[in-house]
Amino acid sequence: MRIGVFVCQCGTNIASTVDTDAVAQKTLMLPDVVYSTSYMYTCSEPGQKEIQQAIAEHGLQGVVVAACSPRMHEPTFRRAVEKAGLNRYMFEMANIREHVSWIGTDREANTRKACDLVEMAVAKLRYNQPLFSSKVPIHKKVLVIGGGVAGIQAALDCAEGGLDVVLVEKKTTIGGRMAQLDKTFPTVDCSSCILGPKMVDVSQKENITLLASSEVENISGYVGNFKVDVRKKATYVDWSACTGCGACIEKCPSRKVPDSFNEELGNARAINIPFPQAIPKKAAIRREYCLHFTKGKCGVCKKICPVDAVDYEMQDEILTEDVGAIIVATGYDLFDHSVYGEYGGGRYPDVISGLQYERILSASGPYGGHIKRPSDGKEPRDIVFVACVGSRDASVDRPYCSGICCMYIAKQAILTKDHVPGSNSYVFYMDIRSPGKNYDEFVRRAQEEYGVQYIRGRVGKIYPRGDRMVVQGADTLLGMQVEVEADLVVLATGVESASGSRELAEKLRISYDQYGFYMESHPKLRPVETNTAGVYLAGVCQGPKDIPASVAQGSAAAAKVQALFSRDTIETNPQVALVNERSCISCGKCIQVCPYGAIQWKELRGGERKAEVLPSVCQGCGLCNATCPCKAIQLLHATDNQILAEVNELFG
Amino acid sequence: MSLLSERLGWIVFEAETKRLHELVKAVLPELDGIVGWEQGFDALHATPVFVNREEDVHRLMWSPLCVHNLSGYLVKTPPFLPRDEGRKVGICVKGCDSRSLVALEQEKFLGRDRLHIFGIPCEGTVDWRRVMKKIPLRGVSSVRREGPELKVEDSRGVHSLPWEESLARRCLRCAHPNPLVHDVLVRDPVEPRIKKDEAYGLVEEMDQKSLEERLAFWSAELDRCIRCYACRNACPLCVCQDRCIVETRDPKWLTQKMGISEKFMFHMIHSLHLAGRCTECGECERVCPMEIPVTLMKEKLNQITREILGYEAGIDSQLVPPLLTFNPGEHEL
Repeated sequence: MRIGVFVCQCGTNIASTVDTDAVAQKTLMLPDVVYSTSYMYTCSEPGQKEIQQAIAEHGLQGVVVAACSPRMHEPTFRRAVEKAGLNRYMFEMANIREHVSWIGTDREANTRKACDLVEMAVAKLRYNQPLFSSKVPIHKKVLVIGGGVAGIQAALDCAEGGLDVVLVEKKTTIGGRMAQLDKTFPTVDCSSCILGPKMVDVSQKENITLLASSEVENISGYVGNFKVDVRKKATYVDWSACTGCGACIEKCPSRKVPDSFNEELGNARAINIPFPQAIPKKAAIRREYCLHFTKGKCGVCKKICPVDAVDYEMQDEILTEDVGAIIVATGYDLFDHSVYGEYGGGRYPDVISGLQYERILSASGPYGGHIKRPSDGKEPRDIVFVACVGSRDASVDRPYCSGICCMYIAKQAILTKDHVPGSNSYVFYMDIRSPGKNYDEFVRRAQEEYGVQYIRGRVGKIYPRGDRMVVQGADTLLGMQVEVEADLVVLATGVESASGSRELAEKLRISYDQYGFYMESHPKLRPVETNTAGVYLAGVCQGPKDIPASVAQGSAAAAKVQALFSRDTIETNPQVALVNERSCISCGKCIQVCPYGAIQWKELRGGERKAEVLPSVCQGCGLCNATCPCKAIQLLHATDNQILAEVNELFG
Repeated sequence: MSLLSERLGWIVFEAETKRLHELVKAVLPELDGIVGWEQGFDALHATPVFVNREEDVHRLMWSPLCVHNLSGYLVKTPPFLPRDEGRKVGICVKGCDSRSLVALEQEKFLGRDRLHIFGIPCEGTVDWRRVMKKIPLRGVSSVRREGPELKVEDSRGVHSLPWEESLARRCLRCAHPNPLVHDVLVRDPVEPRIKKDEAYGLVEEMDQKSLEERLAFWSAELDRCIRCYACRNACPLCVCQDRCIVETRDPKWLTQKMGISEKFMFHMIHSLHLAGRCTECGECERVCPMEIPVTLMKEKLNQITREILGYEAGIDSQLVPPLLTFNPGEHEL
């Protein structure tokens, strides 16, 4: 093989601590290397030209560039060599910037290490083979999991672009957390007024199939060709008939059902529609509270229903959908503040969560929008907000900032003043995090115009005194302990990953962090992609964020899907595993360890079974190769021989 | 029956052998055949035997000289297990051997329903090389256990050796003397010699040594290796056989080059391929013509597997060996 080596100086980034000329000279002594040079900026236009010229003049069959991280410029150079007529995989990169020049100042040692790395790259290149992509058709339908605002936005944007969308929502209505909010910061818009039209749009778009009361059961396949099983949970009401009139709810005798939409403040009925703007506006029976199911008698709803929609015999259904891409927007759960014993451990009715207070403020909430405290229905005069409950606290394994609490407290304090003009609001906080457009101004308004008293310090204890609550905390600015007597205490409960997020991640084969938030492909440059091709993220399932960020991610994920679907086929990455059937001993270990389900049995004539890789599913992780005892399965472009050549070059 | 004991040179294990014959005769018509042990070329050696006719059943025997782990015969080429999935075979196993069957079942090389297992609770097997080292023997005519002593009779008369000093190293650290899977037991279960966590004494002793001492130890031991691959061939879980990467040259993991580096590489590969799979049956060490303690490397890896993953191979056929699965929830690794 005729190999050319190009050593980049990266201005002074590399040249200041690596003798790039010496590296070029030394590598010219290597077998097979016929051309070698060092250049100021190899990635620049003239730098690339130089490579292309050298390929032509010296008949190069392979190229090594010693420069920065391949994550930076490998695609650039692959394109460059491809334009000059080489296969793009006849190229290797040696990282002498991040791995050498930036981490050491000893010029001599750096130069030596740079030589080693170039020698290893040359050693590997000798074993490189031209690789070619193949094309697979795309099923142009998208699955959106989760019908909160992020999922709604993603579904609408996809549908707007003419794609068929399947929107799966676990609950009986879409809307998610945003539907539970009274107002949104910093504009104090009515939440359901701005969300409502989007929800209606979802129901009216012909190319959106809304599957409420449904959950994803199983996912197989790969980008462009996923097969998804969706479990449609029995609601015991035939939704094709139900008109949402609500007659059944009015007459339902089971009245002590915790109202989860109202965060357990007040009661709902066993047959219920969570809120007036619900989409779809259809009733559903909660089996565990329904007298027909628990006691075996009743049947009032069935008798009262004017369209005979109630069906006690209804069973779960499994629907199968073929989709080409998946957007995950499964949202979040609220931190359960009962783990804080010092805040009453959930025992005090007048110590409530932020979302409960949101429901109290809401006109469609349990108290019709009048601020009352849960214990005795009295209007509170003094209200204390406690920030960072279940956020930024390593002792409860929630060291992260939930990002929204500072803002929603300010909003709730402002709204409190509007509802109860003579009231006093106090906020115990650690730091104020308000880095959004008009956010800090909003917090200042709460402090300056609305007279909300901000006390910097943590709350140590909350306990009852008479019919009021005492909040004891530190004021670290004054350097003293303070005690505030309050009628109502609102804990700014933080955000945690939705229950079941880990299980769903396993089905999707995407990774998640230790708190259950889904991992994006790159924290900065690929924020809505996952490491599984064709699966995208939107909203809080990826990490705490507010409504505008969730909506932006919904749109971003939709844009990614549109881009993916703009072609009829997708090019597969040829750096995948390949089975040498003659060496395969049919032990099946590769099938067991593959995290992507990319390996399956293939039956040969005579009934013998061998492993077979589905190239379009394989992500090239190499787990199969490491596991295969006889190394019959090789990862193309990182074969054992290529790695061994590098190792032997270094130590041999 | 006195003839039998005379021919085998055994008196203590006559009852077990007789019981084995009865049990085998009862099921032989339903089986494709049975693999067990028979008398070898002298009283100190047994040898594997395949039996599929009733008139050959008398050749089967049990004694502490039945050292071989026969489970490899079920999976290695040509497999003793018939292709017809409706057919069963019989196999005689000791406690250690039974774990190999479990491990093979875990890795789906075997179906439990294809086997009729004759389980033999075992009080330890005799390491004939150890015996020969203590007493150079010639023309052994009978071997028997009399209480705490091993009695060997050769052309020069009767010699005796303390029973414990005649046992194989694997047997001295045995925590599973009773077969974990079996269809019938040939004799009553016996007490395990040691508890599970005491089995890694020699590994712990090695760990006490400095890195240099350990390197010196292994360099000296492995320098003797002649790369005959007997250890690999005897291992019931080394199922690659002709496709083993120490012999194929693509990928080129090993070469024909002489020298200790290739020997090290081979043993490292062998050990790592068995990490979390090895049941410590000790066959690799038993068959090593150069008497290298090769099982010790696998013991070390098993100890790590136990500590980090809480897993022991060949115990529960329903468990998936931890290195043969992908679990993103494993953080401690």
